[in-house]
Amino acid sequence: MNGIRNRTLRNTIRVSVPFLIVPALTLAGSIVFDRKRHIIISLAIAVFSLLLFAAGFEKRRTGTRRMVIAAVMTALCFAGRFIPFLKPISALTIITGIYLGGETGFLVGAMTAVLSNFYFGQGPWTAFQMLAWGLIGLVAGILSDPLKRSRVFLLIYGAAAGLMYSFIMDIWTVLWYAEGFDIKLYIAALGTAIPYTASYVISNVLFLSLLAKPFGEKLQRIKNKYGV
Amino acid sequence: MRSFSEYNPIVITVYIFSVTGIAMFCNYPLLIAMTFIGGVLYYIVRNGRSHSRSHLYFFMLFVVLALVNPLISHNGVTVLFVMNDNPVTLEALLYGINSAEMIVGVLYWFRNFTQIMTSEKLLYVTGALSPKLSLVLSMALRFVPMFRRQSEKVSDAQKAMGLFKEDNIIDDIRGNMRIFSIIITWALENGIITADSMAARGFGTGRRTHFTNFRFRRGDMIFLLTDIILLAICAAAIAGHKLEINFYPKLRSSTLGAGALTGAVAYGILVLLPVIAETEAFLRWRYLKSKI
Repeated sequence: MNGIRNRTLRNTIRVSVPFLIVPALTLAGSIVFDRKRHIIISLAIAVFSLLLFAAGFEKRRTGTRRMVIAAVMTALCFAGRFIPFLKPISALTIITGIYLGGETGFLVGAMTAVLSNFYFGQGPWTAFQMLAWGLIGLVAGILSDPLKRSRVFLLIYGAAAGLMYSFIMDIWTVLWYAEGFDIKLYIAALGTAIPYTASYVISNVLFLSLLAKPFGEKLQRIKNKYGV
Repeated sequence: MRSFSEYNPIVITVYIFSVTGIAMFCNYPLLIAMTFIGGVLYYIVRNGRSHSRSHLYFFMLFVVLALVNPLISHNGVTVLFVMNDNPVTLEALLYGINSAEMIVGVLYWFRNFTQIMTSEKLLYVTGALSPKLSLVLSMALRFVPMFRRQSEKVSDAQKAMGLFKEDNIIDDIRGNMRIFSIIITWALENGIITADSMAARGFGTGRRTHFTNFRFRRGDMIFLLTDIILLAICAAAIAGHKLEINFYPKLRSSTLGAGALTGAVAYGILVLLPVIAETEAFLRWRYLKSKI
C-alpha cells in the first residue's frame, strides 16, 4: 500500500480538498441537512484539513534531521501532558513553531494530540485537538519574527492561544451535545471550563516565560551547528 | 472467524467510524439506544465484570449530561414543573437523555477502540496513509522511555558529583532544572545522530517495512464488506427521512415503517458484529478444546 506517497492520489487530495470538498461539504451542510448535522460536517472538515496537511508533508522533501527533531519535541510534549494541572504542550508547540517553522509546529501539535490520547482517551475530539494544537504551532511559525523579537508579544500570544484552545474545544462540546449550535449551552460550557481555561492560560504564560529563551537558544544552536 | 481485536487494523478503524458516525449523524432514539447497548455489551464481553469504576464514571456522566439540557433549554410545550421562574419541559428532558445516551455510547465505543488499537496498529494505519507521519509518531513513542532512562542516569551522575542535595528545596529545584536542560540538549543532539545514522543506512530510498505484518485475509474482506453493506442500508434509511425525530416544540417522530425497520435492523446487526465474532471465536475454541 503506497498511500499518500502515491503521486496521483497526493495531488488529487491537494487540489480537491481546499477547492472542492470543503466548500461542497459546507454548502451541502447548510442546504441539504438541517442544523442537526453540524457536528458531522465540522468533523469531516477537520479530518480533511488534517489529510491536506499530511499530503503536503508527504510531498515536501523534509530532511530526516528535521523529522527526528519534530519527533523529539513531540515526545517532550507528550511527557509534559502528564504534569498535573500545568500543561506545557501549547508552550512547547509555540516554541517549535517559532524556531523550526510553522509546518513543524503544526506537526508537533497534531502528533502530540494523537499520541497522548492513547493514554487520555481517543475519541472524535482527537481530530479537533489535533487541529487546535496544530494551528497554534502554525500561527506561531507565521508570526515567528515578531514573536522572537518581543517577549511581551510572545506571552500575549501564549495567553491568547490558551483562550482560543478552550473556545475551540467548547464549540465542539456544544456541537456534539446539542447537534446544533446553541449559544446558551456554549456560554454554560465556557463557564464550567473556566478552571481549565485559566490553567491553559497560566501554563502557557508560565512555560513560555521559563522555557522560551533557553529552549530557543538550544534549538538555534542545533540549527546553526547541523543546519536543520 | 477470529476475535474482533485480531482483525486487520484498517477493518477495525473503518468499523468503529461507521458505528460512531451513524450515532453522531442520526438522533433517532432507537439507533442511539442500539449504539449504547452495543458499546456497553462489547465492553463487558471484553473486560468481564472488572472496570466497575469506569462504569460508575460513565453512569455519573450520563446523569449530568441528561440533566444539563432541561435546566438550560426551555423549549418544548409540555411543562413538567417550574423552577426559578423557568419551565422545565418534558421535551428538553427527553432530548437531554437522548444526547447523553449518544455521547456515553460513543465514549464506550472509543474506550473499546483504545483498548483494541495498540499504538503499533495505529502506526500501521497511519503508515498506510502517510509513511512519514507514521515515522514521527513511532520515534516519539520510543523517545519517551528513552528520555526517562537518560534523565535517571544524569541525575545519578549529578548526585555522585555532589552537585545537589535533595533535602534542600532550592537546591533540589535548581538541580532538576539543570537536569532538564541537560536532557533537552542531549535529546536534540541524540536526535541528529539518529537521523544521520538513519540516512547512512538508506532511509528514504525505498519503502518502509513494518515490524509487525498485518495481512489482509479473506475474513477481513468479508467483515469489511458486511460492514459497508449494513452501513449503506442504514444510511439509505436515514437519507430517505425514514428515521427522523423532532423534539421541539413537540415530540414528533417518523412512523416505524418497513424502510425504517430495515435500517434499524441493519444497524442493530452492525453494532453486534464484534460481539458475534467474539462469541463465535469463544465457542469454536471450546469445541476444539473438547475434542482433545
